[in-house]
Amino acid sequence: MNNINPNLNTNSFIKIKKFLLSKSKYNFCNFIFFVISISLIFNFLTWIFINSNWKVVTSNLNLYAFGSFPPDQQWRPILWFFSLLSITFITVYGPKWNWIRKNLIFGWIGTVPLGIYLLNGGLGLNPVMTRHWGGLTLTILITSCSILFSLPIGILLALCKRSSIFLIQKLSSFYIDVMRAVPLIAVLFFGQLLIPLFLPVGLEIDRVWRAIIAFTFFVSAYIAEDIRGGLQSIPNNQIEAAKSLGLNKYQINIFILIPQALRVALPAITNQLIGLFQNTSLMSILGLMELLGVSRSILANPEFIGQYIEVYIWLASVYWLFCTIMAFVSKKLEQKLTINKGY
Amino acid sequence: MKPILTAKNLTKSYAKGILALNEVSFTLDQGKVLVVMGPSGSGKSTLIRTINGLETFDKGELNVLGIKISADSDERKIQKVRRRVGMVFQQFNLFPHLSILENITLAPIQVQKRNKKEAEEYGMNLLCQMGIESHAKKYPGQLSGGEQQRVAIARSLALKPELLLFDEPTSALDPERINEVLDAMRRLADQGMTMIVVTHEIKFAKEVSDQVLFIDSGKILEISSPEVFFSNASHERSRKFLNQIN
Repeated sequence: MNNINPNLNTNSFIKIKKFLLSKSKYNFCNFIFFVISISLIFNFLTWIFINSNWKVVTSNLNLYAFGSFPPDQQWRPILWFFSLLSITFITVYGPKWNWIRKNLIFGWIGTVPLGIYLLNGGLGLNPVMTRHWGGLTLTILITSCSILFSLPIGILLALCKRSSIFLIQKLSSFYIDVMRAVPLIAVLFFGQLLIPLFLPVGLEIDRVWRAIIAFTFFVSAYIAEDIRGGLQSIPNNQIEAAKSLGLNKYQINIFILIPQALRVALPAITNQLIGLFQNTSLMSILGLMELLGVSRSILANPEFIGQYIEVYIWLASVYWLFCTIMAFVSKKLEQKLTINKGY
Repeated sequence: MKPILTAKNLTKSYAKGILALNEVSFTLDQGKVLVVMGPSGSGKSTLIRTINGLETFDKGELNVLGIKISADSDERKIQKVRRRVGMVFQQFNLFPHLSILENITLAPIQVQKRNKKEAEEYGMNLLCQMGIESHAKKYPGQLSGGEQQRVAIARSLALKPELLLFDEPTSALDPERINEVLDAMRRLADQGMTMIVVTHEIKFAKEVSDQVLFIDSGKILEISSPEVFFSNASHERSRKFLNQIN
């Protein structure tokens, strides 16, 4: 334990400190750092504005956004984007009226069936096959559907894991442990290749839906653990108070435990959802034409061959923008839902 | 007077054979106020919590409002008791994610299936009685301890209970906030509410209670009227206890 002794090596320590803190040394370091960063920024900017050719992005904006969705029907995904944007706006900047606060959640849930209806067609709209879905539209659709399905499943798994019934508790623990031990790409392969084999003949699930199912299976296990953490943070006296009012187990879960646990788990859940959004890009390996898949097919076009850097910088900024929006909304939600603990 | 609560030989032991309750028997008549006193760890909280089933017991029998509860009674029977017995806790235990009014109306709406408007009207009525109607839209964290405890009392009253249990309702309060809660309890007693109060407030016990129950190591050492208990306690241990807290 000699090296903890502050008296040892004092001399050399002082020398090093002197050297590090000397002004000339500081200035020298600063100068080097300055030169390097300026040249980096300069090179980057000249490349962006002079050497690069953004035609690969600008002439394909339609493809990035909608994939091969029929051009005369593209108002449908646009309408859906607009509804998503407006509900985001209402969530963040909307008035604090009680009925808005209470019904906002239904608005969010409603955007998913709305999106499916608008993309899929039927009921008065021309049907569009899922193989024409693509680009950012598909990325957002996979993300939002997976979120919608995995949240309730995650809550249910978390509650089951705390259940007093041995079998239920073990089964849910087993499921969560298995899902967390398997890499996502394996789950996605499983969804794409094995689900069709297991299904009875004649029943077929579309590729997009198989992807959503696989993502839901995977993410719900993680969300379950986040919510379980939230549940554990609620003091036992909340349960006692609810019991003493005559509430039964289900009412205690629904009205007391879950609302409080969700608030606690919100930052962790946001993490999972941002991860989910980025991980949808894995589907390009499995042949879906989501944002990355579309980009790969554009790069395969002889006209744009070799323009990887432009495309990937563009992709990075799109992913960055959407992840930032998600993080921002979650931060605002957190602020709105924060409760002054009055235990 | 008909008895509202009868306990017969209640016995509960924690691990290692330590008795939390040792052959506890007593009765409580309607409209009476019973104050439970005793040193810490004596089993007074355990006693009051067995009455609405927050604690189980090993032996004996409990008759609350005509519902017989034994050691192996199931959750449903205990829930029947809980719907008619209110409880106020030391730490208030309000639900922090619900507004004051929602805290109060939750149980009437969900448990008693009353309609929302009626429950809210009654809730506001109770808040007026407690003198905190202006806080109805606020959240528990925005209120002082004394106000929170009065909300907790209103919440337990919302189910129109026939018996109210108080588990050290003023122990977590600032000294200057204690009286507002005690006053509210005093008014309830005057209205004829049957109450069991675990407390160290001697003045309150003297003025409001009809009976004082002294418990130590899980055993009831004496049950007497406050006049007798505070001036001429029969048991050596209770005299010693009173000397210490005075």
